Amino acid sequence: MEFKEEDIINNMQLKLLNTIVELLPEKAIFLPETNTLVVADIHFGKTMHFRKNGISIPPQSAERDYMRLNALIEKKQPQRIIVLGDLFHSTHNSEWNLFCEFVAYRSGIRFMLIIGNHDILDRRHYQKLCLEIVEHSLELQDLILSHEPLKKVPVGMVNVAGHIHPGFVLQGRGRQNIKLPCFYSLPNQLIMPAFGSLTGLHILERTMDSDVYVVANDKVIEV
Amino acid sequence: MKASKLWFEKQQWKPHSFQREAWKSIAAGNSGLLNAPTGYGKTFAIWFGVLQHYLDQKKKPAGLHCLWITPLRALSKEILNAAEQVSHDLDLTYTIGLRTGDTTLAERAKQKKKMPQGLITTPESVHLMMAQKGYADVFKNLQFVVVDEWHELLGSKRGVQIELALSRLRAINPNLKVWGISATIGNMEEAKEILLGAEHEKGVMIRANIKKKIVVETVLPDELEKLPWAGHLGLRLVDKVLPIIHANNSTLLFTNTRFQAETWYRHLLQTDPSLAGVLALHHGSLGEETRQWVENALHEGRLKAVVCTSSLDLGVDFRPVDTVIQVGSPKGIARFMQRAGRSGHQPGATSRIYFVPTHSLEIIEGSAMRYAIENNKMESRIPFIRSFDVLVQYLVTLAVSDGFEPKQIYQEIIKTHCFNSVTEEEFNWCLQFITKGGKSLYAYDEFHKVVVENGIYKVTSRKIAMQHRLSMGTIVSSTMLTVKFVSGKYLGSIEEWFISRLKPGDVFWFAGRNLELVRVKDMTAQVRPSKSKNGIIPSWEGGKMPLSSQLAAMIRERLNEYHEGTGKDKELKFLAPLLEEQKKRSILPDKNELLIEKIKTREGCHVFVYPFEGRYVHEGMAAIMANRIAMFKPITFSIAMNDYGFELLSDQDIPIEDAIDSDLFSSRHLTDDVAKSMNTTEMARRRFRDIAAISGLVFTGFPGKQIKTKHLQASSKLFFSVFEDYEKDNLLLKECYDELYDFQLEIVRLRNVFERIEKQNIILKYPERFSPFSFPIFTERWREKFSNEDIEARVMKIKAQIEKD
Repeated sequence: MEFKEEDIINNMQLKLLNTIVELLPEKAIFLPETNTLVVADIHFGKTMHFRKNGISIPPQSAERDYMRLNALIEKKQPQRIIVLGDLFHSTHNSEWNLFCEFVAYRSGIRFMLIIGNHDILDRRHYQKLCLEIVEHSLELQDLILSHEPLKKVPVGMVNVAGHIHPGFVLQGRGRQNIKLPCFYSLPNQLIMPAFGSLTGLHILERTMDSDVYVVANDKVIEV
Repeated sequence: MKASKLWFEKQQWKPHSFQREAWKSIAAGNSGLLNAPTGYGKTFAIWFGVLQHYLDQKKKPAGLHCLWITPLRALSKEILNAAEQVSHDLDLTYTIGLRTGDTTLAERAKQKKKMPQGLITTPESVHLMMAQKGYADVFKNLQFVVVDEWHELLGSKRGVQIELALSRLRAINPNLKVWGISATIGNMEEAKEILLGAEHEKGVMIRANIKKKIVVETVLPDELEKLPWAGHLGLRLVDKVLPIIHANNSTLLFTNTRFQAETWYRHLLQTDPSLAGVLALHHGSLGEETRQWVENALHEGRLKAVVCTSSLDLGVDFRPVDTVIQVGSPKGIARFMQRAGRSGHQPGATSRIYFVPTHSLEIIEGSAMRYAIENNKMESRIPFIRSFDVLVQYLVTLAVSDGFEPKQIYQEIIKTHCFNSVTEEEFNWCLQFITKGGKSLYAYDEFHKVVVENGIYKVTSRKIAMQHRLSMGTIVSSTMLTVKFVSGKYLGSIEEWFISRLKPGDVFWFAGRNLELVRVKDMTAQVRPSKSKNGIIPSWEGGKMPLSSQLAAMIRERLNEYHEGTGKDKELKFLAPLLEEQKKRSILPDKNELLIEKIKTREGCHVFVYPFEGRYVHEGMAAIMANRIAMFKPITFSIAMNDYGFELLSDQDIPIEDAIDSDLFSSRHLTDDVAKSMNTTEMARRRFRDIAAISGLVFTGFPGKQIKTKHLQASSKLFFSVFEDYEKDNLLLKECYDELYDFQLEIVRLRNVFERIEKQNIILKYPERFSPFSFPIFTERWREKFSNEDIEARVMKIKAQIEKD
C-alpha cells in the first residue's frame, strides 16, 4: 500500500483489533486493506426536503457535499463505498436524480448502504441504482458496521457507527472554546462524524475510556 | 361657527395657541409637522382641521376622506373614541372606522362596501389595503393622511412603509395633504422633510412651546457598599422601591427586559405580600387579553403598581399613574423622558421619575440624565435608506392587487427619501428579483412570483398572493409558542427556543406564575400551575440596546466634573468612595485621558479600555484593536464589553505596550480594519434573517403553523451564503452590510471615537486587582471571539494546557 506524505501527516491511523483504519479529515474513514471508504450520515436531499416543507434553502448548498464526496473519491480511489445510513434524508424528490447521476458516473465502484432511520425511500429506487442494501449491520474484517451504535457488540469485534453526529468542545484558558466535529472512540466502538454539511453537532463529553479525535480543518487530531 | 370653537366651548376648554395655529394652517391648505408633547390635545389640533376641511366642502365627495395612521393598535382605539365623541357631540355625519390587524373580516367586508370618511389604521394595514383589488378606487377621494407618533416610525422600516404608501397615495391624489405629529427628537427638520417628501419646502412646522417639568431622582441605598460593583437586576434596592410605591397613587415600574420584569414582579411580591392583587405585570409576550386587563385596571385606578417593559412606553395615558420608576440604565434620553412622561398628565403637572441603578457605577447615569433633560439633549432618529427588502415587498404587494407599470412606480419611489438614490438599473434588479429570482435563484419557480402581461407586472398565482398577504410587514419576530393551561386558558406566548430547552415536568416562571410544562403540542406549550418555589425565568432575546451617544457624552462630562470638583449632584457625592477606590487601584481619567488597564490572573492576560461610548461601538473598537494587536503575533482573544468599556482577554501576554506605540488608536484605514477584524460576514449573515423575511425569500409560515426560528435562521443564512458566493452585487446583500455598518457597528460614531482618542493622552495602568471600572466588564458572560491563530494551532495549544492541568 502506497501512502502520500501528506496523508500520513493529516490522517490519523488507528488499529482496531487487527484492522487498519484511517480517520480522514473529510469526516470519513478509509480501510486500506480492503480499499473501502466509509462515510456516515450524508443526508442528501435535505435541501429539497426543507423546501418542500416550506423552508426555503438555496440549491447550491447541496452541491457542495457532492463536490466533497467526489474529491474524496478522487483522492482515495476506493473500490467500495459503504454508507453508514442516512444517505438520503427524505422521501423521493428531484435531488435523488442528482445522486443517481453521481453513482452512474462511477460505475467501477461498489456502493453499499446500511439502512438508517432517514432512509425511507422505496427499495426499488436503490435497486435501480445497483445499490447494495444492508438492513442492519455488516461485518468486515474485525469491524461490524451499523447505522445506530450497537447496544451489544459481538465479542472480538469493533462496531463502527454513525447516527449520533458527534461533536466535541475544547475548553482552554482565557475563556476560549472551540466546537468541532469528532470521531469518538470507545473500547469496542467508533462513532463517526456526519459527512453532510447540513447537519448539526451532538456534543459528547469525554469519559474515562473514550478517545476523541477532532477534525480541525484538514487535520484529524487526538485530544 | 367653526366646529372646533363650538366643541371647545361645549367642553368649556380653551384651545392652546398651537392648536389654533394648526387649524389655521390646515385651512390654508398646507401640509406639515406638529411637534407637541402628549397630553395637551395634539390629536384635536389636527382632527378639527381635517374635520373643518370636510365640512367646508360644498360638494362632499363619497368615500374615504382621511387616513389616520398610528404605530400602535392601542392608540388607534383611543383616537377612534375621541373622534367619534366629537362627531356625536356635534351631531355630524362624519363616520370613523378602525382598520388594524384586529379588525374582523365582517367589518372589513362592510368597509369595502362603504368606506367611512375617517379611517384609523396602522402602516401594515395600509399596505394590506393596497394588496386588495381595486384599492386605487378606495383612495381616490382621499384628502388627508395624518401620521401620528411619526418619531416612533421614522427610525424603523415601518417608516419606510409610510414613505412608500404616501408615494402611491400622492400619485392617486396629487392634492393630498399630509400631516405628521411628533415628539421632540434631535432631527425635527429631517423628520418633516421625509414625511412631506419632495414638497417639504412648502410644509410648515408647528411647535407647541409647552415644556413638561420633569424631576429625576436617583434611588440610593443607605450605604454605597450595599450595591454590587456588577449586576443587571437591581434587586438589592427593592426595600427602597417599596416605600415609593406605597407613598404614591399608582406607579409604573419600567425595566429593560422581559426577564427583568418577571424577576422584579416575583421579587416585589415575595418581599411584600400585601401587594398581591394590586401589583400587575405587563410585557410584550403576555397575551393580549392579559395586557388589556392590566391596562383597563390601570385606567380605573385599581392597581398600585405595574411592572412593565417598553410595552408601555407608548400608548394611551393612564390618568391615575402619578409615579414612574426606571430600573437600570434607560440607555437613551428620549426614552427616559418618554417614560417619565407616563406620569403627571394634568397640564402643568410635574412628571416625577425615579431611577434605580443596578450596580454602583450606574448611579452616575441618574445625574447624567438630569443634566441632559435640563439641556434638552435629544437623540436623533436615523431614517433607513435604500431598504430594498421593503421595496421588493411593496412591488409584490402592488402586483398582488391591480398590478403595476414599472416606469410609473419608479418615478414615484424616487421621490421618497428612502429611495431617492435608487438608479434605474437597481430598480430593474428588483424587477428581475420578483419575476425571475434574480441571478442566483432563476432555476426555482417559487421565486418567479410576478409575471409580466402587456407591460403590467402582476401576480397570477393565488397561492403566491396568499403567502404574500400573510407575510407582509417589516417586524420580524421569533417564532412564538402559545402558552396555555391544559384546561385551555391562554396565558401568552413565548419564544420557541426557550421552550425547546425544557422537558415535560420542568418548572418555569412566566406571566408572574410558576408553571409546569406538561407537553408541547403543535405550536402550543401546555402547562399547569406548579407549587414549586423555584422555576427558571425565561430570558428573551434582545434587550442589549447600547447607550446613546448623547447619554454617553453626558456621563463622560459628569465624570469629568467629579474630577474637577465642580460636580454638585448628590449622585456624584454618593459615588465618591467608589471613584476614590478607582483612583487608588488605578486612576480616574479626566476628559483628556483614555485609561487602559492591564491585569494578569490565572485566566490569562486582561486588557481593559474605557471609552464610555456604548456597547456597539465598544464591540467594534475591541475587534479593531484585537486585529491590530494580532499583527504582532498569532493570538486568540475573548472579548467582553458593557456600555462603559471593553475587555480583551487572552491566554498569552497581550503586547498592548508595543501596540500603543504603533498607532493602535489611529483613525486611518478604519473601515478597512473593521472589515478585516470583525467577522462582518458572520454578523451580516445573522442580520440577514429579517431582510430575507421582509423581501419574501423565506416564508414564515401560515398562522398557527409557523416555521421554527431555527430553520428560518438556517435557511436565511444559506441564502446569504449563496449570494456571497454567486451574486456579490445582490442588492439585498448590500443592504444587509449597509445596515450592519450604520446601525450595528455605528461606523460614524466609531470614527468619531477614534478621532477623539487621537487627541487624548493614553494612560496605561497595571492594577493588582480588578478596579471598579473593570469588574463589571470582567463579569459579563456574553463574549465575542477573535482569533488569527489557525484552528489546528489552537487545538494543539488547548491540548497542551489540558495535559498540564
